[in-house]
Amino acid sequence: MIDTLIATIVSGLVLGSLYAMMASGLSVVWTTLGVFNFAHGALMMIGAFVAWTVSEAVGLGLLVGVASGTLVAALIGVLIERLLVRPYYGNRNMLLITVMTTLAAMIILEKGAQMIWGARLKQLPRLVDGEISIFSATISAHEAILVVLAPLILLSIWRFNVRTNTGRSLRAVGQNQRSAALIGIDVPVAFAIAFGLSAALAGLTGALLGSIRFITPSMGAEPLVKAMIVVIFGGLGSLGATAGAAYVIGLIEALLILWLGLYWTPFVLFLMMIVVLIFRPNGIFGGRQ
Amino acid sequence: MKPAARNIVLPLVCLAALLLVPVFAIDSYTRHLFIIAFLYAIIASNWNLSLGHCGVFNFGHLTFFGVGVYTAAILAKTLGVNPWIAILASGATAAAAAFLIAAPVARLKGIYVVLVTFAFGQLVMQLVLSQAQITGGAEGMVRIPYLRLGDYSFLKDYKLGYYYAALFLLVVSTLFLLAVVRSPFGKSLKAVRDAEEYAAARGISISRQRVTVLVLSAIFTGIAGGFYAIYLRVASPDVFGFGTLSLALSMVLIGGTGTVYGPIAAALALTFATEALAGIRGLEEARFILIALAMILVLRIAPGGLLGIIEKLDFRDRKPAAPAVARNGP
Repeated sequence: MIDTLIATIVSGLVLGSLYAMMASGLSVVWTTLGVFNFAHGALMMIGAFVAWTVSEAVGLGLLVGVASGTLVAALIGVLIERLLVRPYYGNRNMLLITVMTTLAAMIILEKGAQMIWGARLKQLPRLVDGEISIFSATISAHEAILVVLAPLILLSIWRFNVRTNTGRSLRAVGQNQRSAALIGIDVPVAFAIAFGLSAALAGLTGALLGSIRFITPSMGAEPLVKAMIVVIFGGLGSLGATAGAAYVIGLIEALLILWLGLYWTPFVLFLMMIVVLIFRPNGIFGGRQ
Repeated sequence: MKPAARNIVLPLVCLAALLLVPVFAIDSYTRHLFIIAFLYAIIASNWNLSLGHCGVFNFGHLTFFGVGVYTAAILAKTLGVNPWIAILASGATAAAAAFLIAAPVARLKGIYVVLVTFAFGQLVMQLVLSQAQITGGAEGMVRIPYLRLGDYSFLKDYKLGYYYAALFLLVVSTLFLLAVVRSPFGKSLKAVRDAEEYAAARGISISRQRVTVLVLSAIFTGIAGGFYAIYLRVASPDVFGFGTLSLALSMVLIGGTGTVYGPIAAALALTFATEALAGIRGLEEARFILIALAMILVLRIAPGGLLGIIEKLDFRDRKPAAPAVARNGP
């Protein structure tokens, strides 16, 4: 009994790390630009495919592959910001329009990936072989890297936001664009940085996930939907709340799988989310706006 | 052209042309395309009621369609209900689903409306997938009973019966939408979209209008879903996916949010365009990219939809068009 519970908690940690990396990217873009990026999952998928191409098809090794996956995703993120988001700044319908343009970007990336890489399942080798035992639960060393890496990445984003001038300028832009511009912050550059950073996170997540799951054009959809649940629980406004919610959701999901089985789990998660929204429209950890 | 001519004569001419189509299109494939286009036209124009006219950021509209599909499939196949009644019942269950989702939507603002309506679609899809013994799970349901009228089977005569039934459905749905939009209630919806605070100050209940508009927009969408299941004799969870969603959304956008006929025209044009593109070798997947690009272009150059451009060019006696895309909260 204890063994099952520990195994469940450990697998919840793995899921939570994955969701934290996805959702924090969404949160960075939301707090800076007020845009919800529907293409976030597709950027993750691009990261995985590029990592596979560079490391397997070209043969440059996994680390180079992961790095290029991250980089290419970041570049596409900047491109999406430039072409699909920037034209609508200041538009009073910006929120709705950018939901639709990023949705279109998602379709283009997914179908584009299907045309470039085909429908055959692909998988990356693991960064490190072997398994690690935590108490009585066993996970692969690769998953352990994910579990360790996620908090480190979250911490560095947090430090970047709080301690560096660039990070501070992103927050300033998020709070008040005009005032930020008045004190000499280059607002378009801040937007591009936020989008690039978020997309890089998505790409890195995808490249790491490519060793655990199969790489397919639609692999980003499920993590995107889970990240949506996370941001609804945590509220989109703060990185800390989003990260906390990611781990809570990861653990709840693992426990639900244990108690109810794979089929009912997503249903119960969505139901919980809707109930949360009825009573706490800004999320469980979200403050009042 | 005078507004009266445009609002009454033009639609009647189009209807007459559509009534005559089966005379010239005698093969079942062309008629099939028309039937699918009519159903998409119902989906898109009803979606526009909540998205365009009232400014509710509803991204779960295809859920109502999916609820209709599975209602008709389960009623007609599993329970042996007459398919005609199953189609009508689909409208009722879709409206009930809309009422359920409307509860949180009425309280939420902005992006959270997008997220919760979208998540509701995922919730229903997961329910369909998890109840495999009832819904067929990921494989879906096949061999659903077809329509009959007395002794006449709708499978005969190269889908002639289905063609006119779908057209009839589209006409009724359009008349319903026109009645809603032109009623005082319809005007209050526009007020909720364009001036929320002022509307509230004038005694319009924002939440009640949102709930009502979602339920109204679900009725014919659900019926179209029921018809879709009975006509294709298949129900599959694909209807909840991103693909159907983006196709219907592109119809609303390209046709013009806030109009009744725009999405209908766009649905007819886009169904044939995507079908023609699918026939070209190598474009089976690329056509979705083209639709997405078209969506982006329309949002960039003509946010009021392509019909908005034509209106500006041809009918200068009209007032300036209403704000193009819906707004929801600050």
